[in-house]
Amino acid sequence: MLQITNLHANVGEKPILKGLTLSLKAGEIHAIMGPNGAGKSTLGYVLSGRPGYDVTEGSVTFNGHDLLALEPHERAAAGLFLGFQYPVEIPGVSNVQFLREALNAQRKNRGEAPLSGAEFLKVAREQAGALGMDMDMLKRPVNVGFSGGEKKRNEMVQMGIINPALAILDETDSGLDIDALRTVGDGINRIMRRPDKAVLLITHYQRLLDYVKPDFVHVLADGRITRTGGAELALELERDGYKELAA
Amino acid sequence: MSDELDMRDKAAWDAAEKVADYAHGWSSDIETDFAPKGLTEDTVRFISAKKNEPEWMLEWRLKAFALWKTMTPPDWAKLNVPPIDYQDAYYYAEPKAKPKLGSLDEVDPEILRIYEKLGIPIAEQEVLAGVEGARRVAVDAVFDSVSVATTFRAELERAGVIFRSISEAIKEYPELVKKWLGKIVPMHDNYFATLNCAVFSDGTFVYIPEGVRCPMELSTYFRINAENTGQFERTLIVADKGSYVSYLEGCTAPMRDENQLHAAVVELVALDDAEIKYSTVQNWYPGDAEGKGGIYNFVTKRALCQGRNSKVSWTQVETGSAVTWKYPSCVLNGENSVGEFYSVAVTNNYQQADTGTKMIHNGKGSRSTIVSKGISAGHSNNTYRGLVRVAPNAEGVRNFTQCDSLLLGSLSGAHTVPYIEVRNPSAQIEHEATTSKISDDQMFYAMARGLNAEEAVALIVNGFAKEVLQQLPMEFAVEAQKLLGISLEGSVG
Amino acid sequence: MSLPAPTRNDEAWRYSDISAVAAAWPLPAPESIIVPAGGDFARTILQDIGSIHQIDIAIGKGAAAAVHILNIGGDYGRVELNVTLHAGADFKLGAVQIGGATQNLEIITTVTHVEPKATSSQIVRSVLAGTATGTYLGKVAVARDAQLTDSVQSVKAMLLDRSATANAKPELEIYADDVKCAHGCAIGELDAMGLFYLQARGIASADAKKLMLQAFVAGVFDGAADEDMLTDAALKKLGELV
Repeated sequence: MLQITNLHANVGEKPILKGLTLSLKAGEIHAIMGPNGAGKSTLGYVLSGRPGYDVTEGSVTFNGHDLLALEPHERAAAGLFLGFQYPVEIPGVSNVQFLREALNAQRKNRGEAPLSGAEFLKVAREQAGALGMDMDMLKRPVNVGFSGGEKKRNEMVQMGIINPALAILDETDSGLDIDALRTVGDGINRIMRRPDKAVLLITHYQRLLDYVKPDFVHVLADGRITRTGGAELALELERDGYKELAA
Repeated sequence: MSDELDMRDKAAWDAAEKVADYAHGWSSDIETDFAPKGLTEDTVRFISAKKNEPEWMLEWRLKAFALWKTMTPPDWAKLNVPPIDYQDAYYYAEPKAKPKLGSLDEVDPEILRIYEKLGIPIAEQEVLAGVEGARRVAVDAVFDSVSVATTFRAELERAGVIFRSISEAIKEYPELVKKWLGKIVPMHDNYFATLNCAVFSDGTFVYIPEGVRCPMELSTYFRINAENTGQFERTLIVADKGSYVSYLEGCTAPMRDENQLHAAVVELVALDDAEIKYSTVQNWYPGDAEGKGGIYNFVTKRALCQGRNSKVSWTQVETGSAVTWKYPSCVLNGENSVGEFYSVAVTNNYQQADTGTKMIHNGKGSRSTIVSKGISAGHSNNTYRGLVRVAPNAEGVRNFTQCDSLLLGSLSGAHTVPYIEVRNPSAQIEHEATTSKISDDQMFYAMARGLNAEEAVALIVNGFAKEVLQQLPMEFAVEAQKLLGISLEGSVG
Repeated sequence: MSLPAPTRNDEAWRYSDISAVAAAWPLPAPESIIVPAGGDFARTILQDIGSIHQIDIAIGKGAAAAVHILNIGGDYGRVELNVTLHAGADFKLGAVQIGGATQNLEIITTVTHVEPKATSSQIVRSVLAGTATGTYLGKVAVARDAQLTDSVQSVKAMLLDRSATANAKPELEIYADDVKCAHGCAIGELDAMGLFYLQARGIASADAKKLMLQAFVAGVFDGAADEDMLTDAALKKLGELV
């Protein structure tokens, strides 16, 4: 589904990714772990096309298409979803309006008919309910006044409504208490653990992996994948730290 | 706070206590050599001749004088100033017994006595007394119009720092002075600046060479002493690449009935990576409780942040003068240059202040901060007037402005006039303003803890102004806190 | 004899299109509105042809007036309000100006609290593209007797292009001590991270900008009698700029 080959990327003038190669197949959940500053968040931003994150070498294909040639919204329409580490507050735009516009823009891009208000609300209510989010919160401006945990939960509601093929979840576990962690973990499994979907979990700690069991764990250090293993690698990292294993 | 500071504090406070209505309201007896009364081309020639100036300087003055005669005073400020008779004043005065001094030790004892009475130059007095470990402050004392002494010259010279009266600098460093004089505040800038160009009597010149951190804080204490003498100081500070200097300017003036005109010009230049910190405590005579007398203070202060990463920080505590017209500004030409303006302005009785700043952003990534605290009491009027301008090519500019007004009593006025002009979309400009009074609850709380009404007001006002006061060098901060209290005496019933 | 046309030296016209003003000079006498004690007044002004509006509003004891302005049309458009509030009166302004190309749009208000306990609230949002100029000169004056005044000004402008110009002068003139007067002013561009967030959720760049701008002006027309008309016209104008 996703093939990253020898990816080099700069943030401003500074090289962050230095030859990263990674392959994700449908039905797989991959976790990327690594020390701070290794380039984990950069990878998420490069894949979703954030301005200022420039690819200098290498390629990325998504279901056979050149992902890097697409605008950020076209990548979303193609089925890529980035769960933000720090979801952005947008005063004045309600969650409902935001999500409906986003969903219908994606559908339009794929040549599908837009959802009516009633159809959309039905989907939204289901997903919010499944993640224990109050409908009132859906009517509030996007992320404005939300706590850290509420913002992450909101990201999961969005993922449920948008129903992407590939989710890149950047530190979705940070700032969550244990109950919220379980809710979010259940959400990821429910929405994304399917034969036609894939997940790239970017995380610093392995605790989310207690709830979402990865098929592969990769260590990202200094802009490259330095080691790949199964779920047990995460436990090893947790125990021994990155220093021992990164090199 | 240390005991030493407490002691200094008390000494200065006691000195202030001794004078009834106005702490510095007395005049001393030094004979004065006046220029003839009135303002003509001859006055300009007299001043220039008196100072043995080179021909180019005289020509510059005459050009300014000719220009000034065609100009009119600005009328846009929220100030009610009676017409000034420029012919009914003296434009030059110097202490007759002009001492030639190597150090402050040799200063006329009469002048020293005045300093002592002022209770102000605390650090300087320690320096004079040879106190071990005293904070190093070099003083270029401007007594009336002439620099009578410059200390620490030798040590500064070792560092390559030039610290001179501007008259000396004109003769000793003509090229350096010519290069920058009138370049930051052009001769035609405004009525009062042009007048200053024609008749400036003396002032200070500072040059900090490339890479030098000035080894001490530089300080000038101004005093107006002679009756009916306009005070036209001129200051020029050039900070070369990578240098740093902190300059302190303080003023007090004796009590007079006649209104006295003060029109100073201060020009600062900061080249690449240079930083200038310019602090002022302005305590000119504000006039009496009925609004009689007091200094008219029309000052033009401007800094050119010419170099990359250059920085100029203006901090001012304005408590004196009957009329204050003053806008210390920064022209931010350098990429990533920084301008700051921190101001406390107190007006009481019939004082009028119209003060603020201009931040002109021409450089990419330039940033500025403006914090203005206005305190109005009695029948006074206190205006903040500011301009933040962003040029079309200046990407990534940031400005934050906070303007707070505090009203004491219901007979004063507090005004805020911010101009914001932005032509580049990447600018982030924020401006906030509030107006408040001291609440009865605050007063009661402070008084229930044992403060009298005036002490309570002084305490609350100092808290209100804290953000600005903490920008001042320590010895100035102590003085400024006292001044706020003294300035507001009689403002609560 | 009418007064000579203003120049840029006149404070209230310092950013105006002086030639357009001169062409329209002399202006007719300002429209005068008196809201009687206890009365309730509402007015919507849609400036979409390039005209100069001058309105004086005196709001009587305990009365309320609400004005909503959408300033979008013509090369030069100006709406000038001169509002006087008596005891306990209330004034609300919700104004949006949206300009592109070489448009010069301005909103000038003088809100004078002459008696105690009156309240005023002004919200002004400007969106400017091309080489357009948008100006808000807003003066709140509180007279000596107008204790317990509560006044707020919220001024925001968004520039879409380099060389578009936003001018703001939120001015306070206060002669009473027991008052609550505040203003806030912010000028900037659309939040880049917000735009990326919208794009990452599938909304194209232009639509994301439009959505953000829509949010920027949202709420200004809340409660206006012509809320829908104003909102639709504002969105249409925004659509032309993005």
